[in-house]
This record gives sequence, C-alpha cells and structure tokens, in this order.
Amino acid sequence: MASIKCPKCAAPVAFDAGTRFIKCSYCDSQIHIDRSGAGFYYAVPFVIDETNAMGLFRRWAAGSKKAKDLDKRAQVAGVQKQYFPVYMLKRNVNGKEQVFFEPAGSTTLPGLHALKVPAGDLKIFDSSFDTSGAELIKPDIEMISYVDSLPGKPKEQALVFFPIWRLTYVFEQKRYDVIIDASAGEVFSAVFPTRSSAAYMLVAAFGFLAFAFEGVLALSSLTAALVLMALTVIGVFAASFTVARRL
Amino acid sequence: MADISVGLNCPACGGAVSVVEGESTLLCPYCDSTLFIEGDQGVTTIAFRNKVNREGAMKASRLWWSRGWKARDLKRVGRTIEVYPIYLPFWRAMTRVAGWICGYEIRRHTDSKGRVHEQKVPKEVMVLNDYRFSEIATDPGDLGIRSLRNFSGETSFADFDMIPTFEATTSRDDAVARAKSDAQSRARSSAKVSRVTMERLHVLPRRLSMVYYPVWVVRYTYRDRMYMTTVDGVTGQVLSGRAPGDPLFQSLAITAGTSVGGLAAAVGIIMSSVAAELMIVGLLAGGIILYITYRFFRHGSEIVEGEFKNKPASVSQTIKELQSAARTLQEAYR
Amino acid sequence: MRIVQVKCPSCNSPIYSKQRDQLFYCDKCNVLHTRNGGAEKLDFEIAEFSGSSSGERVFVPFWRLYCSFIIRSKSVEGGHVFRLMSWMKDEDGSGTLFIHIPAADFDPSTFKRLAIDYTVSSPKYRSRLDFGGVRRMPAMMSREEAVELADFVVVTMEAEKPGVLQRLDYSLTVNGSKVVYLPFVMGQSGLTPAL
Repeated sequence: MASIKCPKCAAPVAFDAGTRFIKCSYCDSQIHIDRSGAGFYYAVPFVIDETNAMGLFRRWAAGSKKAKDLDKRAQVAGVQKQYFPVYMLKRNVNGKEQVFFEPAGSTTLPGLHALKVPAGDLKIFDSSFDTSGAELIKPDIEMISYVDSLPGKPKEQALVFFPIWRLTYVFEQKRYDVIIDASAGEVFSAVFPTRSSAAYMLVAAFGFLAFAFEGVLALSSLTAALVLMALTVIGVFAASFTVARRL
Repeated sequence: MADISVGLNCPACGGAVSVVEGESTLLCPYCDSTLFIEGDQGVTTIAFRNKVNREGAMKASRLWWSRGWKARDLKRVGRTIEVYPIYLPFWRAMTRVAGWICGYEIRRHTDSKGRVHEQKVPKEVMVLNDYRFSEIATDPGDLGIRSLRNFSGETSFADFDMIPTFEATTSRDDAVARAKSDAQSRARSSAKVSRVTMERLHVLPRRLSMVYYPVWVVRYTYRDRMYMTTVDGVTGQVLSGRAPGDPLFQSLAITAGTSVGGLAAAVGIIMSSVAAELMIVGLLAGGIILYITYRFFRHGSEIVEGEFKNKPASVSQTIKELQSAARTLQEAYR
Repeated sequence: MRIVQVKCPSCNSPIYSKQRDQLFYCDKCNVLHTRNGGAEKLDFEIAEFSGSSSGERVFVPFWRLYCSFIIRSKSVEGGHVFRLMSWMKDEDGSGTLFIHIPAADFDPSTFKRLAIDYTVSSPKYRSRLDFGGVRRMPAMMSREEAVELADFVVVTMEAEKPGVLQRLDYSLTVNGSKVVYLPFVMGQSGLTPAL
C-alpha cells in the first residue's frame, strides 16, 4: 500500500485509492489528501482466474444469440492475462464535477463501446503492487496532454490499469476475439458467430396459424377441430423442443 | 508524495480538527469556534454492516436456483465455486418536488343510442413530495445491480477493512442531475394528468450521500459454464443472477403461446361478424401473447434476473418494450 | 479545501454555535450572515412571543420575499374567485405581496401549511432585538431555493380556490428578501404559532 508523510509528525501513513480523509495512526491527526495537483497510478486486482474466465466465456458462448453449440465447438487458440490502461480524470467544470475517461494507449478493446473503468477495488499501483504475472500494456499517450486540453479545473487524475483476459478462439476456420473483465466478470465482444432465428420463427408462425385456423374450423366442425388441435399441440411441442435443444 | 497531504487545523487555535465529509461546518473541540469549510466538502458517506455470512449467501443462491424457469437439474449439477463479499458504492439522493400540473382528460362514454360523447374533465394536481433516488456509483459491469432496494440497516465502517471496496468512479453532479430528472418524471406521472395545459414544477435536491452496501458474489458452474448470483449483504435476498434455462420450459412456453394466441385470433375472426373492431382486438391479443412466449422460446436458454442491460427472455422486459412501442405508435398516430 | 473560522463580517468577533445552521448569528453586534462564497450580511427580524401556550419556545426562520407579480392571463374551469386579487393594485393585473417560505427542515405538508398560512395573512408582530436565549431552528434552505419555491406558493394559493385551474400566465419578481424569525411553541401536538 502507498503511504504519505503525516504533515504533523512526519510518520508514514498508508492510504488507498478511494481515501480522501485519513487519520495518522501515530499522532491521531486527520489528514486531507488533495489529489488535484498530482497524477496517480491505480490498478484493479484480478478476481477472476483463468479457469473461471473460461467458464464465463463458455456461459457467454452458450447465449441464445451465439451460433449453436459455440460453447462446445469454439477452439480456444490463445489466452492472455493483461492489464489495460485508461485515464480517469475527475474535473470541476463550471462548478460541476465531471468524470472523463480517455484512452491511454492506441490499442482498443473489441466490443468495449465506450471507454470505462470497470467496477473494482482500486488499489494504488506502485512497485509493491502484485500484477500476478499479467502483461502490462504500456500507455503510449501522456496524461499531461489530457490534463491540459480538457475543460475545467483538475480534481483528480489517474491512470487506471484494469485486469482483462483476452481470449482468441477459432470457430469454423475463423478467429474471433473476446475480452473478459477480470474484476466484475463482464464479457465484451465485437464480432461473434451468430445463430439464425429462422427455425424458432417457423415453429411459432406455424403453430399460431394452425391454431387460428382450427379455432375458426371449430365453429363448423368441433370434433375435427379438436383432433387437429391435439395433433398441433404435439407437433409444436416436439418441433420446438428439438429446436430449443439442438439449434 | 508529501505534497498531497494536508493537515487539518483550527485556524483560530491551531488544534487538530476532524472533518466529517459532506458537512460544511464543524466545531473546534478545543476553542469551540465555528469553522466553515470552503471549497470541496465531499459527500456524507455511510456504510451498511454486512449481516450475511458465506453459508447464508450460498444458501440464498441455491434457493434461487430452484425458483422460476431455470434448468431442472441445476440443483444437482450446479457447483458453487466462489463466494465473496464486496462493498458497492451507490449515490443516494433525496429530492423535493413542489409544483402544480393542470390540464384535463377526455372521457368517452356511449349512450343508449350508441352515440359517443366526449367529456372534458379539468384537473389541477398539486405535487409536493420527497423522492428518493439511488444509483450505483461505478460501472455496474456484469453484476446486474444498478440501484439500492433496501435503505435500512445497521451502519458501520467496522467491516470496511475486511471486505474489498469498489471505488466510486462516476460524477457526483451527474448523479444529482439524474436524481432531479428522475424525481421530476416520477412527480409528473404521479399527477396522472393526460393533457397538460400548465406545468410548474420546482425540483430541489436536498441531501446527497454515498452509501457503501455489502453484496455477496456467488459464482457457480453448470456444465463447464460459469454463472453468478449476487446476494444482498443486509437482507440476505438474491439481488440478481444468471442461470441456465431449460429447453423443456422453452418449448412448453411456445406451445402454450401458439395455442392460446392462435385461439384468441380465431375468436377475433369469428366475432368480426358482430363488430369489425373485434377482429383487430383478437388478432392483436393473439399476436402479443405469441410474441411474449416467442421471446422466451428464443432466448430462454439463459435466465437473467436483476438490473442487467439486456434480458431478452424476461417477460416483464418484453411487456415494457411493447408498451413503449405502443406509446410511440400512439404519438405517431396523433 | 480550506478551513476558515466563522467570524462576524461586521465586528469580526468569532461565532460560537452548537448546531449546523446555514445562518450565523453574532450576539455581540446583532448581525446575521450566511456564507456562499463569501460572508453576506442579511436583513432580519425577530418577532416577540405572545400568548401563554406551554411548551418549549423556539424561533423558526422564514425567508420573507417581497415580490411583485403581473398576471397576463388565466383560465379556470368552473370558478372565478381570484386570490391574488386582494394584492392587486391596478386593473392590469399587477401587484405586490410578501411570500413567506419556511427555511427550516420540514416535511412537505408542514412546509406547505406554514408557507400558505403566513403568505395569505402576513404575520403581525412586535419585533424584538435579540433571541433572548430562546433556541433557533437551524435554517437549511438558501435564499435561492426559497425564491424557487415562491412560485409554488403563488400557484398553490390560486389553485386551492374553488374551480379547477387550467392556466396561469404570470411573472413573479423577487424585489427583496429578509429573514424573519417567528415564535413557535413545541408542544405535544407539534409546532404551534405563538404570535
């Protein structure tokens, strides 16, 4: 954990990323941490390990919009454990607090529509921080360029490293990328193999029209309609069960 | 980094003072002076005490597995992998709305001769209420939690060092702005005036605080896939979750939907000889039933509960979407 | 962030107060001030207690806003009594009135009752020079918020007349403001005026 010097007794006082006020444990005086003039480095610890990341990927791949059996048939071709950098700048714009997220590197993450810092326990990132073997993506844009160009006065500025699992998988000879947020478990993906709704729609449309027809038929010939309805129920159930299980 | 620490002293006597975040004044404990904080005062912060243990969270999660249209073998096959508590940050705001909404509504009634009469009923409605608003102060990620449901419980920072605390990363003033617009729209809909001739609403933010709320995250696997639930650390209720669905329920839904919907359409067609509108009513009712069950059939392979962005199989979300579509159509028609 | 000692802007003596209050009162030179960026002296009056109701005596702060209004048009369904009429000076629909906004922290219904009661009939009192050791309720509402709510009070007075208000096109200008401390007694049934 990072520390500051107590302005009263000069003892080191440990503080965390979210701390604004803290008590010195030696002389018991309260210290205010003013972040407006300095730049901070924060990082979010990895909560989701590789096995769980694979489990999250499989759950996502089994989703109703993904190609059928994608969870079973996708071949994972690569797994990277990375720390991705984003600038988080809190500023006072005309008396109102605003938070800006700005890219810290030229690389972007697939499927992440807006730049953000995913939910997590921010820690001060210094030499004592354990990156648990993750590759650190180096920011190649300077923080100062944002500090000078954004509106308002600075309140706090930080470079936040957030933990991700970057998965590459192959499905029907094509490669796809997926990002798993290793703190709150969100899965991001821009392009993925999709599943057609045609079979689902066909079953629904057939069933609906058949019942509508049989309902009208019931006026003239009740028995015939009831028999047909029973058959339709069985048919729709069997067809939809097959579709839901296999498609 | 010594330049970022600021000692807090009474400007009158030099004694060390303690500032409570969110308060603009304080009393010096040594010389009794009233002190005023200029500039950023911060926000009143409270934390709820965690009341649920690991076993409680797991039990709530397992109970949730057996409720609703989830995979029937989930209880047998599901394996809890991880259970851990976190503190989530929320903005909580109290906003007072004071004002009047005046207007009228049109009531239609048909007399014995079948003629339709329109009656204009004028209305004046006072709105004077305090509205509570809460919103998660970080990116909700895939937790399925966006607002607070429970506002009462023991408050204490005692668990703060033990439980990982998610940091607030959204703007305080954005939260106030959303609290204001939320209060305004709730006040407006509470007045129930359909045609507005005058609206004068005043929205005054009263109190803003930051609430740290304990939430248990339970991660479990089902056939190599990883799902999750979140459990309220104060009440022990499941807040949100993802679970595998069951193809049996999906096909039962569409079988029921096509038969009931199809028959409703048939009744409409048959009744059209009495009144032409009845056919439209029947077809519409049948279509809506079909659409709701179709959505469950199509997307019910995963059951999602809670405040997630996307819940395609959820009946309540489908109904909400249909309602907003109907409203858009109505406005376009006008 | 900076901590400053609250001092009277008039005589510069420090102010000691046991409660959180937006208004600071100097008992040395009898000056009331508020802080919003810098210290700002406020016009104020303290009303004398009368009557003999028992209970704890307390002064409740009100913003008394001296307002002028012009009514351009108005429509009411099924009613024609016009409350603002009593303050109208001219045929053209303009007039002036004192709007009283309670500045202490009240629930919505108490807030409304006090605001309407004291605006409909302005309180008449003998003023006194100090608080005489009687407790003051802390003020939680700024003048800006009180000005916002003045409009609500005016529309409420009009709407609560017989008939259903449909439209009120008017403008309200606040020409001056004063803090008025009115006497109340805190009894078993809540606050009762002690004017």
